[in-house]
Amino acid sequence: MKICLLSYRGNPYCGGQGIYLMYLARELAKLGHEVHAIVGPPYPFPVEGVTYHYVSNHNYFNIKDFVKPHKPFATFNPLNFYEFAASKLGIFPEIESFSFRAYSKLRQLLKTHSFDVIHDNQCLGYGFLLIKQFGIPCISTIHHPLTIDRSTWFEYPSSFFLKTKRILYYPLVMQKYVANTMDLIVTVSHDSAQEIYNAFGVPLEKQRVVYNGMDSSIFNPVKLPKRHNSLIFVGNVEDRKKGVIYLLKALTLTRHKVYLTIVDGGAPNRNYVPRWIDKFNLNEQITFTGKIPLDKLVQLYAQTQIALCPSLYEGFGFPAAEAMACELPVIASTGGALPEVVGQHMKTGILVPPRDPYALAEAIDFLIENPDIRNRIGKAARQRVLKTFTWENAARQMVNVYQEAIDAYR
Amino acid sequence: MPRAKIYGYIAVIVATLMGLVFVYYAFIHYDMYSSVHFSSIDTGAYWAVVLPIALVTLFVLATCFWVGYTILTIKVAPPMPEIVEKKDNSKFKAFLLCLVTIALAVWFVYGLYHHSYLAIAIPAACITLVILGMIFWVGIAIITTRSTLKKDK
Repeated sequence: MKICLLSYRGNPYCGGQGIYLMYLARELAKLGHEVHAIVGPPYPFPVEGVTYHYVSNHNYFNIKDFVKPHKPFATFNPLNFYEFAASKLGIFPEIESFSFRAYSKLRQLLKTHSFDVIHDNQCLGYGFLLIKQFGIPCISTIHHPLTIDRSTWFEYPSSFFLKTKRILYYPLVMQKYVANTMDLIVTVSHDSAQEIYNAFGVPLEKQRVVYNGMDSSIFNPVKLPKRHNSLIFVGNVEDRKKGVIYLLKALTLTRHKVYLTIVDGGAPNRNYVPRWIDKFNLNEQITFTGKIPLDKLVQLYAQTQIALCPSLYEGFGFPAAEAMACELPVIASTGGALPEVVGQHMKTGILVPPRDPYALAEAIDFLIENPDIRNRIGKAARQRVLKTFTWENAARQMVNVYQEAIDAYR
Repeated sequence: MPRAKIYGYIAVIVATLMGLVFVYYAFIHYDMYSSVHFSSIDTGAYWAVVLPIALVTLFVLATCFWVGYTILTIKVAPPMPEIVEKKDNSKFKAFLLCLVTIALAVWFVYGLYHHSYLAIAIPAACITLVILGMIFWVGIAIITTRSTLKKDK
């Protein structure tokens, strides 16, 4: 099968979508399929068997000095100028502009290649309306609808101006429209499928659930001494749906003095959570690592007693699965798909209601006081990940979805 | 001076001059009471000119209304009491935004119906000045950016 994957950000360090692209492409190639990927910056690392085709953008939304010395007039290119203007008006145009650039790149590629299926990775830009005209089945993975991100932002106190910015930021109208034109939608959990139906109106019959995998060759238990009363949280602390504020509050409620390590690649530039750490007087209990390599993360998991996922919502929850693969007991909220990933309460993890710092504190104390249960849950968690979440399974199921889309097209 | 900077200066000067010329001829020089009124223009010609401006204006107003309406009606879980620092008055502001956009839309449509000069000139000025402002911004960015790479790059 000749597969063309599209991802507006390709690098695995830029979030779940980069990880998804890297592993899915690698496993599809291993299964013997011809895999091409059209990717936007930050670009992915080379993967054996995958041919990458790069499209650029100027990242006007995030970069202040947007004029490149070697291309000073690039902003006057019509698509770039649209991207620039939209960014300055508070709209996030990267997704939409990527879709148009991907269309141009595909048109060029189709002169020398033929693809059986085009698989978009949560872009859903208007450019897909043009891509559909190529007559190739188009499917899209939606990890979770962005309506969730918007509503979780609104749960936190903020000004009218910030709320306005958030509404303009998320391209929900476009994604809703484009999602309904796709041949099939793939999502990563049953909870996410329901949310996609609620937010975008995509019928459940048009959606297929393919669980993400977990690289258990990287994430595995390492024998290192555990630090006393140690906790770990992995994720972007500024992302309101991660529920970090509730975690901080929980740390003020635990009977035992616990020490939390926060692994957040963007940590030096964060300001919201550090302000609350000061207010809750938790400075001596919390350490930020900043961006660290994967081997260091695995080492940290090995040295820590409990992993925490207090998210208000997760479409899947890679950090929970990673910690579980490292035999770490996870305390997760029941937000979104976390129960699907973590599994049975008290067997493969501990589940608490989201937005409940008291329940979270109680669960932390319980696991601190019961090392045997910690070990038992950690071991069971790894077994669950090895059995349920492998990229090979994900790729095989994805091929079935591709075949279904191709058969329906004929 | 590097060539890129010259073009940057040109973009800034052209955007500024065009903006000034537009404002001068649209609002200062033009005597909207004694000059030929829009009502004397052929209906087809009038709508050919007005329709694109009307569509953009109504789109912008609809977007503003949608922002206000979303803030006003979105249902979310209440925040943890400990993190509420001051009273949230965003719903009141959102309500005002909805009212203002409705009022502007009504005024705009009424103005179009009566071939009012200002109903066209003000949105046209806004659209033109925003675009020229963006060109000005890019021009300034080109002028203030290093036009050559550092030696170690």
